[in-house]
Amino acid sequence: MSLAAEAFVSQIAAAEPWPENATLYQPLKEDQILLSDCASSLAVQAYLRMCGLPVQVRCRANAEYMSPSGKVPFIHVGNQVISELGPIVQFTKAKGHSLSDGLDDVQRAEMKAYMELVNNMLLTAELYIQWCDDNTAAEISRPRYSSPYSWPLNQILAYQKQWEIRRKMSAVGWAGKSLEQVYEDVSQCCQALSQRLGTQPYFFNKQPTELDALVFGHIFTILTTRLTNDELADRIKAYSNLLAFCRRIEQSYFDEQDKDGQSGSSRFSKGPSLI
Amino acid sequence: MGTVHARSMDTLPMQGRDLGVHPDDLDVMEVQQETKQEILENKDVVVQHVNIEGLGRTKEDYLGYEISEVFNAKNLVDVMKKSHEARQRLLRLGIFKEVEVIIDISEGADALPNGLDVTFEVTELKRLTGSYNTMVGNNEGSMVLGIKLPNMFGRGEKLTFQFSYGTKETSYGLSFFKPQPGCFERNFTLNLYKVTGQFPWSSLKETDRGISTELNFPLWMTDHTLKWEGVWRELGCLARSASFAVREESGHTLKSALSHTMVIDTRNSAILPKKGALLRINQELAGYTGGDASFLKEDFELQLNKPFILGSVLSASLWGGMLFPIGGQPTSIADRFYLGGPTSVRGFGMYSIGPQSEGDYLGGEAYWAGGIHLYTPLPFRSSRGGLADLFRTHFFLNAGNLCNLNYGEGPRAHLQKLAECIRWSYGAGIVLKLGNIARLELNYCIPMGVQSGDRICDGVQFGAGIRFL
Repeated sequence: MSLAAEAFVSQIAAAEPWPENATLYQPLKEDQILLSDCASSLAVQAYLRMCGLPVQVRCRANAEYMSPSGKVPFIHVGNQVISELGPIVQFTKAKGHSLSDGLDDVQRAEMKAYMELVNNMLLTAELYIQWCDDNTAAEISRPRYSSPYSWPLNQILAYQKQWEIRRKMSAVGWAGKSLEQVYEDVSQCCQALSQRLGTQPYFFNKQPTELDALVFGHIFTILTTRLTNDELADRIKAYSNLLAFCRRIEQSYFDEQDKDGQSGSSRFSKGPSLI
Repeated sequence: MGTVHARSMDTLPMQGRDLGVHPDDLDVMEVQQETKQEILENKDVVVQHVNIEGLGRTKEDYLGYEISEVFNAKNLVDVMKKSHEARQRLLRLGIFKEVEVIIDISEGADALPNGLDVTFEVTELKRLTGSYNTMVGNNEGSMVLGIKLPNMFGRGEKLTFQFSYGTKETSYGLSFFKPQPGCFERNFTLNLYKVTGQFPWSSLKETDRGISTELNFPLWMTDHTLKWEGVWRELGCLARSASFAVREESGHTLKSALSHTMVIDTRNSAILPKKGALLRINQELAGYTGGDASFLKEDFELQLNKPFILGSVLSASLWGGMLFPIGGQPTSIADRFYLGGPTSVRGFGMYSIGPQSEGDYLGGEAYWAGGIHLYTPLPFRSSRGGLADLFRTHFFLNAGNLCNLNYGEGPRAHLQKLAECIRWSYGAGIVLKLGNIARLELNYCIPMGVQSGDRICDGVQFGAGIRFL
């Protein structure tokens, strides 16, 4: 989105309160969604729950193509369509909902730096494992990604996606990496996060921020998603404070809210539980 | 026009014009031996040989069917007539640049006294022809490259390739055409293509990549087309501001459809006919042969033309169509019908009638449209012929409706639904005929029966197209 358009959207958005029928769109949960999309979707859901903004989750096979940026998840609020965590955070801020207002400038810069770290390391690693590891691509990613389509479209789209991601990996210099190096990068990223978190409940002490939502989305999804092997999850399990952090967020933002009997097409779309 | 050469003949009593042959064109050779001079006009003749000269890659057996009729000619006039017809048939194949006919008396050992030889001198088209041009439009510039290989394997096969490279989109089309020897109208076409369309009335962008096979054949008075098409369709929003209903249709689908078209056309011209009728019935079954889209689509077009007083023509047309979803799957925005605009119900915006969401028209599953036109020659024109013949003034009355039907209800409810909220319009304008394929219209329209959501064009409306209500 261009800067002018963004400014315009925020201006309009500010005028209207958060509607009851806000909807989040993501790919089909059972058969289609991949680790990286699931993580991004969960991060946005966690963020909106932390803000106390209700959102209904809808699964659509063509969610990726419905999204204005071509990335999932996206939310449909009033007549606005906004995709990805960054723009969604800005959008809610314009409506007067923010988690990072209590932070000072230094903390805010630090938060942004850690969010960049998660996007550059964890998200890129997820994409690498999904599409550049031949085993995972052949056994999980391609069949799942193409599951809504009929032959020969399923083959075309899956290989097209794989090619696109591989090109992106070359662009960021990950194409030459081995799987072992990628796991090592994930470990380093987790170590940095683990050190920053320390013994605090959230990254910036008592209050959760969008960084907490983002880290929760990725780590929770990696821990609860089955891949061809458990190496990725095992690397993360080495950091016990991150595991405890995930459980904490799951309990305070997902479990209790789901107990008050929401229907099947529910607001709860997190997948299996950690506990 | 080619020339019919006739040798060893006296004056020709017939009017060459009827056969498209001018008497001046006929080379009447000086007869060398007075004794051999005969008047062949009413005499029985036998066509002994028919030769085709100038063939390169064309196979002779392919042409045999086209010229065999010449052997059945019984007198000279007949020979000329049949030769001329054969010439037209040869030219129609689209593989010759020129065809000339020479009729001569037979020579050689087995020559009969009343024997004739007919020789067709042909010039073949080049093996490969190419073209390139540039186009500007739709906020996009593009370069179009075309390559044509006529008569590829010597039996009328044709391969065409068109590639358009634009600043935004590239598209291409590869087509292979093969007629049945002896019956050119019975032919087979294979197409491979990628096309991109932008539909601002729906804020929709569509990219189609597909393959289709088509079989054309005449049956009694009708022409039939059987077609299978497999197409990968990619829909997207034209702008960020597109309505959510259009956004929901975004993504990839695969359509595999069988279709059949029947046409009866007795009109004297496709654009601005003076008399005759057209009936086109088209049906499409998607999903039976695979793919994601499954529906049955029926539509028809009827047009009747009758000469009226003072050189004017009265024309009436009726269109209609229905789309039945199969298997409970909703129909795609790309398959539904659209109505309105200068080529259908005049006075309304282009495809801007019926169901819509936030200003984006979503199309309907059923429609009908009818029109009555009175075409008159331009007033105050000085004489027949010339530029003024390309123009007509017309007065029109159009009506139509487009809506979605609830297929659970009976046909009575459907008719009622189609009969309520009828949009109609009337007006007058000028029509310009462009070649025999397209026409331009400049009309003053008064739209009536406008429903909320319809976009109207009250007043002057300009239209260009190849299919008109």
